[in-house]
Amino acid sequence: MFHITAAFLLVGGAVAAGILNTLAITSVRPSDSALLLRLVRTALPLMYIGALGTLVFGLVLWHDRSYSLGAAWLWLSLVLWVLANALGGIGGRYQGRARKLAEQLAAKDDAPSDELRALLRDRRGNAYSYAAGLALLAILVLMIWKPGS
Amino acid sequence: MIAAGRPFWPLFLHVLGAMTLFGGILTVAILSGVAWRRPGVPVLPRAAFVALLVTLPDYIVMRLGAGWIYSKEGYSGHHDPTWLGIGFGVADGGLVILLLLLGAGFWWRRSGRAVAGHIVAGLSGVYLLLLAVAWLAMSGKWGA
Repeated sequence: MFHITAAFLLVGGAVAAGILNTLAITSVRPSDSALLLRLVRTALPLMYIGALGTLVFGLVLWHDRSYSLGAAWLWLSLVLWVLANALGGIGGRYQGRARKLAEQLAAKDDAPSDELRALLRDRRGNAYSYAAGLALLAILVLMIWKPGS
Repeated sequence: MIAAGRPFWPLFLHVLGAMTLFGGILTVAILSGVAWRRPGVPVLPRAAFVALLVTLPDYIVMRLGAGWIYSKEGYSGHHDPTWLGIGFGVADGGLVILLLLLGAGFWWRRSGRAVAGHIVAGLSGVYLLLLAVAWLAMSGKWGA
C-alpha cells in the first residue's frame, strides 16, 4: 500500500510536471511560461517523496516477499529508478534555465522571444525529460509483469 | 510491486490510467489553487482547461482496464470485496466529478470569473482525495 502510494506520488508528480512544462512551451508570453515553469516546482516535493518511498518500500517488499537476490527484474527496476531520477534532474536543469530567461524577459517587456522559444523547445533538454518518463513507464511494466517470478 | 499472478494488460492499463489521471487532476488543482491566490491571470484557466482535457483519455483507459480485469478475474457482483466496491464507486462517481470539472473549467476559461475557478479548485481537491482513498483501498485490499 505504501509502495503504491509512493508510486502514485512519483508518477502523478511527473505527469503534472510534464503537462505544466508542455503548457509553458506552447505559451506565447514569457510571463506565462515563467509562471507555468515556476508551478512545476510545486510538483517536485511529491516527486521526491514518491521517489524515496518507492525505493524504501520497494526494498522492504523485496525482503518481506522473499524475492530472490538475483531477481533480474528487480535489479533492472533499480537501474531504471536511478536513470529516471538522473535524467529527470538533467531535464529539470534545462527547464530551470528557460524559467530564468522567461522571468528576465517578463520583467523587461514581456515580448515573445526567439531565444526563449528555442530554449523551451531544446531537443536535448526535452529528450532527457521524455527519457525519464519512459524509464518510469518501464518500471511500471516490470512491477506488474514481474518476469521470471 | 503491484500484484503477482494477475493478468498483465488489464492491470497495467488500469494502473497507468489511474496514475496519469491523478497527475492530470493534480495539475488542475495546482493551477486553480494558484488562481485562488492570484485571480485575473488568464493563462491559469486556459491551462487548467487543457489539463482537464488531458485527463479524459486517462479516465477512459483507467475505467476500461478496471472493467476488463473485473471480468477476467471472475467477479460477479455478488459478495465482491469491499476494496472493489470502493474502487468502482470512486471510478463511476469520479466520472460525474470529472464532467462537472469540465463544465466548470470551460466556464472559467470563457468567463475568467473567480467563482468558476473556486469551483474547479474545490472539485479537483475532492477528486484527488477520492482517488487517494481508491488507491489505498485497492492496494491495501480493504475488506478482503
